[in-house]
Amino acid sequence: MTYTLTRVEDALAAENERYPLEKRERVDDPMQQQVHRSVFTGKLDEVLNSTVNWGRKHSLWPYNFGLSCCYVEMTTAFTAPHDVARFGAEVIRASPRQADFMVIAGTCFVKMAPVIQQLYDQMLEPKWVISMGSCANSGGMYDIYSVVQGVDKFLPVDVYVPGCPPRPEAFLQGLQLLQDSIQEERRPLSWVVGDQGVYRAEMPSQREKHRDRRIQVTELRTPDSI
Amino acid sequence: MSVDTADNSTVRADGQHNSLLVAQLREQFGGQLLHEQGTLTGMPVLWVSRGALVDVLTTLRQLPEHPFEMLFDLSAIDERLRSRRHGLPESDFTVFYQLLSVSGNRDILLKVALSERDLSLPTVTPVYRNANWYEREVWDMYGVRFEGHPNLSRILMPPTWNGHPLRKDHHARATEVDPYEMTVESQEREQEAMQFQPEDWGMQRQSESTEFMFLNLGPNHPSAHGAFRIVLQLDGEEIIDCVPDIGYHHRGAEKMAERQSWHSFIPYTDRIDYVGGVMNNLPYVMAVEKLAGIEVTARIQTVRVMMSELFRITSHLLFLGTYLQDLGAMSPVFYTFTDRQKGYEVIEAITGFRMHPAWFRIGGLMQDLPKGWDKLVQGFVDWMPARLNEYEKVMMENSMVRDRTRHIAAFDTANALDWGVTGPNLRATGCDFDLRKQRPYSGYENFDFEVPLGSNGDAFDRGQLRIEEMRQSVKILQQCVNNMPEGDYKADHPLTTPPPRERMLEHIETLITHFLQVSWGPVLPANESLQMVEATKGINSYYLTSDGSTMSYRTRIRTPSFPHLQQIPDLMRGGFVPDLIAHLGSLDFVMADVDR
Ligand code: SF4
Repeated sequence: MTYTLTRVEDALAAENERYPLEKRERVDDPMQQQVHRSVFTGKLDEVLNSTVNWGRKHSLWPYNFGLSCCYVEMTTAFTAPHDVARFGAEVIRASPRQADFMVIAGTCFVKMAPVIQQLYDQMLEPKWVISMGSCANSGGMYDIYSVVQGVDKFLPVDVYVPGCPPRPEAFLQGLQLLQDSIQEERRPLSWVVGDQGVYRAEMPSQREKHRDRRIQVTELRTPDSI
Repeated sequence: MSVDTADNSTVRADGQHNSLLVAQLREQFGGQLLHEQGTLTGMPVLWVSRGALVDVLTTLRQLPEHPFEMLFDLSAIDERLRSRRHGLPESDFTVFYQLLSVSGNRDILLKVALSERDLSLPTVTPVYRNANWYEREVWDMYGVRFEGHPNLSRILMPPTWNGHPLRKDHHARATEVDPYEMTVESQEREQEAMQFQPEDWGMQRQSESTEFMFLNLGPNHPSAHGAFRIVLQLDGEEIIDCVPDIGYHHRGAEKMAERQSWHSFIPYTDRIDYVGGVMNNLPYVMAVEKLAGIEVTARIQTVRVMMSELFRITSHLLFLGTYLQDLGAMSPVFYTFTDRQKGYEVIEAITGFRMHPAWFRIGGLMQDLPKGWDKLVQGFVDWMPARLNEYEKVMMENSMVRDRTRHIAAFDTANALDWGVTGPNLRATGCDFDLRKQRPYSGYENFDFEVPLGSNGDAFDRGQLRIEEMRQSVKILQQCVNNMPEGDYKADHPLTTPPPRERMLEHIETLITHFLQVSWGPVLPANESLQMVEATKGINSYYLTSDGSTMSYRTRIRTPSFPHLQQIPDLMRGGFVPDLIAHLGSLDFVMADVDR
């Protein structure tokens, strides 16, 4: 698996530097490199890493942040019929400082963008971003003067959920994909132990993964009956 | 204020009434009335001179009989590229004032022509208080100055913005200009520009005895219902004054309408009041149908009513859950969202979509009702009443909810009309004004339902009233199930879009017409039309100007939540912070319905 490496010190930037500040670098699986160094510490590292990741991915605290229509479907996923607690992500936080991930649920407005950046900066590492809905992914149907054409113009995004709005189920799937990618991550186990880089796995594209199965469909249900 | 509604229908039917009014104004203002424009808006449209504007508005507001109590809407049109003006007075930019008389159930539209070289007008805030935000919007969007305005600053766009977006020479697409880019420096600059300066708003930083605290609530706050910001001037917990700040949700829907075909703008309407679904399509397609001269069948009308009422229920359920959550009750939202899910099952089976079906079409519907729809709707109709009773008992009779909401942020009918408040928030003050009764559209006159009224106009009444409204909507749904008329789901008219497919297959001429209508869209005759509906949050209206092309020349969207937010400071002065939260919850707004 290939990884992208980012380092904290890269986030200290000059005035004219553009967001997102982090510099990405493509590298091979860091574990592989370590295994070559010593079999024992490699194994230990792996066990520790996956235990920590397991803990992280099952206790993701979402930041209560909404922009527009997509937020309604996101909150729907938090209520009884869909029940996000099944995935350990029901502890909604009103403050970015206590949250683990932020869902950009809705349109990213030019007037709102600096605020979003500020809120993102206030979240503590480790942190992740889900971009929910066409607007956040790419501007969607709003190619208009007041809308930023995709939140990834300034924020690093981990998972994109398509839809306008995505169904609550789609949001939950996005959440699970985030969990999968967290499981593969390599982060420093402490600020004094080992390499201080953050290694994010490059996850496979869902579209490619499912394409073969999807194009098998030849008959669609008629909309004339329920 | 007493509102007599007894003779509304007669007043409305009486076109003479309007011509009497115009004659009276003519007598009083003579040459200052420049022109009377014939339109499809259903109200007199008068061009007045700039000098007489304030006097004419004052006269209309103070008419002894059926005065125009409300400034319903105020906006402008950039006329510079309009080709078919049919002898209208010369104008580069036209500012229009739409007034509503609730007591007389009638409207009037005044227009003032401005030349590009001199874009200024006297402010009308002394006559209508709620002109304040509307004038700021016109300044922001068109660059028209209002002399004497208390604080003419941008309202929708960021303070650092260059240009006036609704001018025809301003770019529409984000992709027409350089891609958006944020640097460390620009982010800081924008944040700096958003800093609140009390002096700009004529506020003191301290009084003799105390130093005030300025609390910035939003633009992201859990009980601000989206991207809304309000800055509070506090003495302890008491609100001395507050300044709402909007525009964090401006998606440029009105500009968008000028570059989409009449047909392809429909999905954008869904996203105006984004919990109102197809309810938003209704005023738009009806206004377009007026321009096109399309009459739809009884079946189309009834299906439209049914779907709109379904969305009224899901919207009110969302309101109820979040309103109670803002008051500190955790569980209601779980119950009401369960009901919403049931509603969406019906909506999805019929339209194929949950939140934004864009299901109405110019001259009809996207498709006919699917087989078995009636059982589904009946299931929902049977499910709701028991739930509503439960909510009333458990929540509205809860003493804590009562203590938090009774006599909080209360206002009377006169105050409501002053600020342009409509919908349930207006009816909570006891004013019986519901367009479905007063000006029935889409066949509402055939339904048997009541208009619930409140009496105190407080946060409690606004909540209670919406539960009752849901009951009435359920009643309407039941009548739809029982009496759904037979008929076509598309009107038989050349401008119905898309045209019936069966005919396309007949010969080459119809095939070509079909192709053009679907690819370029229908061409609508040059004219102006307007349609208001009683939407989930109040009166929503579309005022369309066609220049005889495939796209709208100007689409003005009047949304109910915009004035509702403008009223907040007037009510909250002297209140406490928790009262403000209760009030925000009880108002029922979504930011897309404010900023569009
Ligand atoms: S993607 Fe669609 S539903 Fe989501 S915020 Fe944008 S317009 Fe609304």
